[in-house]
Amino acid sequence: MLAELINPYYLQVASFILINIILGVSIYITLSTGQLSLANAGFMGIGAYTSALLTLNFDLPIIVGILAGTLLAGVFGILIGIPTLRLQGVYLAIVTLGFGEVIRVIFVNWESMTKGAVGLSGIPHMGRELLNTLKDFGFDPKILGLQNNQFVFLAIFLILLGVTISIITFFRRQNRSRVGRAFAAIKLDEKAAESMGINITYYKVLAFAQGALVAGFAGALFAHVLAYISPADFAYHRAVEILIFAVFGGSEVIWGPVFGALFLTVMPEVLRFISEYRYMIYGLIIIIMMAVRPQGLIDVNILNWVKLKTPKRRQKHGTSSQKSI
Amino acid sequence: MRKQLKKFAQFTALSSLLVLSACGGNQAAGDEDGESSGGAVKADIGVISYISGPGAAYGEAITNGLKLAQEEINGKGEVEINLVIEDSAGKQDQALTAAQKLMNSENVTAIIGPTLSTEMNVVGPEADLNGVPIMGTSTTAEGIPQIGDYVFRNSLPEALAIPASIDKAIEKYDAKKVAILYGNDDVFTKSGFDTMKKAAEEKGLEILTIETFQKGQSDYNAQLTKIKGLKPDLILASALYNEGAVIMDQARKMGIDVPFVGGNGFNSPEVINIAGDAANGLIVATPWYGEKEDDKVKEFVSKYEKEYGKKPDQFAAQAYDALYIMAEALKNAGEADRDALRDALAEVKGFNGILGEFSFDEEGDVVMDPTVLVIENGAFKEFN
Repeated sequence: MLAELINPYYLQVASFILINIILGVSIYITLSTGQLSLANAGFMGIGAYTSALLTLNFDLPIIVGILAGTLLAGVFGILIGIPTLRLQGVYLAIVTLGFGEVIRVIFVNWESMTKGAVGLSGIPHMGRELLNTLKDFGFDPKILGLQNNQFVFLAIFLILLGVTISIITFFRRQNRSRVGRAFAAIKLDEKAAESMGINITYYKVLAFAQGALVAGFAGALFAHVLAYISPADFAYHRAVEILIFAVFGGSEVIWGPVFGALFLTVMPEVLRFISEYRYMIYGLIIIIMMAVRPQGLIDVNILNWVKLKTPKRRQKHGTSSQKSI
Repeated sequence: MRKQLKKFAQFTALSSLLVLSACGGNQAAGDEDGESSGGAVKADIGVISYISGPGAAYGEAITNGLKLAQEEINGKGEVEINLVIEDSAGKQDQALTAAQKLMNSENVTAIIGPTLSTEMNVVGPEADLNGVPIMGTSTTAEGIPQIGDYVFRNSLPEALAIPASIDKAIEKYDAKKVAILYGNDDVFTKSGFDTMKKAAEEKGLEILTIETFQKGQSDYNAQLTKIKGLKPDLILASALYNEGAVIMDQARKMGIDVPFVGGNGFNSPEVINIAGDAANGLIVATPWYGEKEDDKVKEFVSKYEKEYGKKPDQFAAQAYDALYIMAEALKNAGEADRDALRDALAEVKGFNGILGEFSFDEEGDVVMDPTVLVIENGAFKEFN
């Protein structure tokens, strides 16, 4: 049982889960100010293409490419965030969906740069590059008792795990800060928030840019994990998929989209044994969910209930804080 | 804070435990698939196919073709093949996880598939690194076998098909001026267009105009009006059959009666169903012609029809031949070993299947003569 866990197959699935969790977080951030943005697939594409092109054409290290892709996506987030401030609800969704399509069409038509619909292949692979670099320093995975490909996927998995945990931690902390409270106030009532002195423009654009930044980051990781991208990967299907993470898991707390991404990525893999019916079941589960729990699976009540059910942890928490006093 | 630190320490301890305990087990697992007992070479062959989603018809034809071949091959008793079929849903990430599962959990000797070239671009390098022979049966884009030594295909690439059909069309209609029309947002039609343009330039044809359209477009009058005004001798159209059929229909209604030359995606009986008489004059090159006067072909068609209730298309035929090629290589290799199978595959020459005589070149790409077909009076006929 334990021996199977180092199987590259499980690590591969786990890597996609982690990337999807990051995407889920990206839509959660914009949703936490009450803005429904469907541009995340577009931002993801910007991140992926920027990083892939930089590493392919200029031989930059992957980490530089990923950072550049992330930042560029963030800049686009600000550029799109400002003019769309006045829009709300469905109108914002339409505009952002349009933006995503514009990005995709640019990738399709800018053939000299992006090779059009054929896509970019041969993008440096995060794990393999890492292995090669380490080998130059005289490191061999065999020291750890691992085969090359086991090491590659373990490395990717651990990197992504670290990144995902830091992102979730960051946004959980932000939620409990002044910024998080401002987001919550804007979500509940914009006018009231404004009259309380909250700078709505600043916080809404901030949320939008953060969402774009995180989505661009996920896109850059996606490019270097898959080593091949094409414009079709960032079409509106992707935008809807990301949205479903939040809709399914719930968008009130950060654990909602995280759980949604986890569950909806694992589901098709678990259902592999019934191959052609698996997407039917996938669809059925979503329909049942929407009928039974329209607010998403995980909300504040569920979290509180879970906390109540585990009194031990609360006690421990209490005693430890007493000690530290 | 302390609690979090403790949690983190627990987590790292647990994960490092997993890593350590996992190292031992998997190395032994890799050696198991080399077994061959009692004469017949036993092998697990993984299949990655597009079974669910909008392109499920491809996956269905491919798996049907494979199952039919498997039955026949196992019946002969020289090679015993067990197929492990996984779905990719036409998505790269799904294809990759399916491939990982086949290579690492199922320990297959070789993989057939995936269905789309985009999927192969992702799966191919991984299989090559792991030393698992992989053969595409429907991947026609450029550069697929060039991914690595372990990557093969038996599907007729556009680079062979399109020049063959253009050649024949030039010969017959004495064409000098052509117009090109293609879908620019699809990998398949885009790479078909690249091949078309290259072929047209090489053959010294004058390209009057290059027009584009998008997937799902329904009105092509703007592009066709322009083409009509330029009076080409031939229209090269890189389109999938659903858009392609509509284009032909609108072109004929507008009075454009020159022949069309299509890519592999245009090659479907559906064109005739959708466009009716307007489909007459479409020229395509195909590896598969079901009406061929050949015993093997006739036998395959009748068996397939009996089993699945419809006529086999090129995807079924290519998959059927692919498994036979695999079986041949397995027999020559003598054992279900990935490296031995790769070497045996690379040596396949002059294999005689339902698609005709087939060989791999040194890169693992296809060497064969395509059949050029034309639609006349609502049916595909050999074009001479």
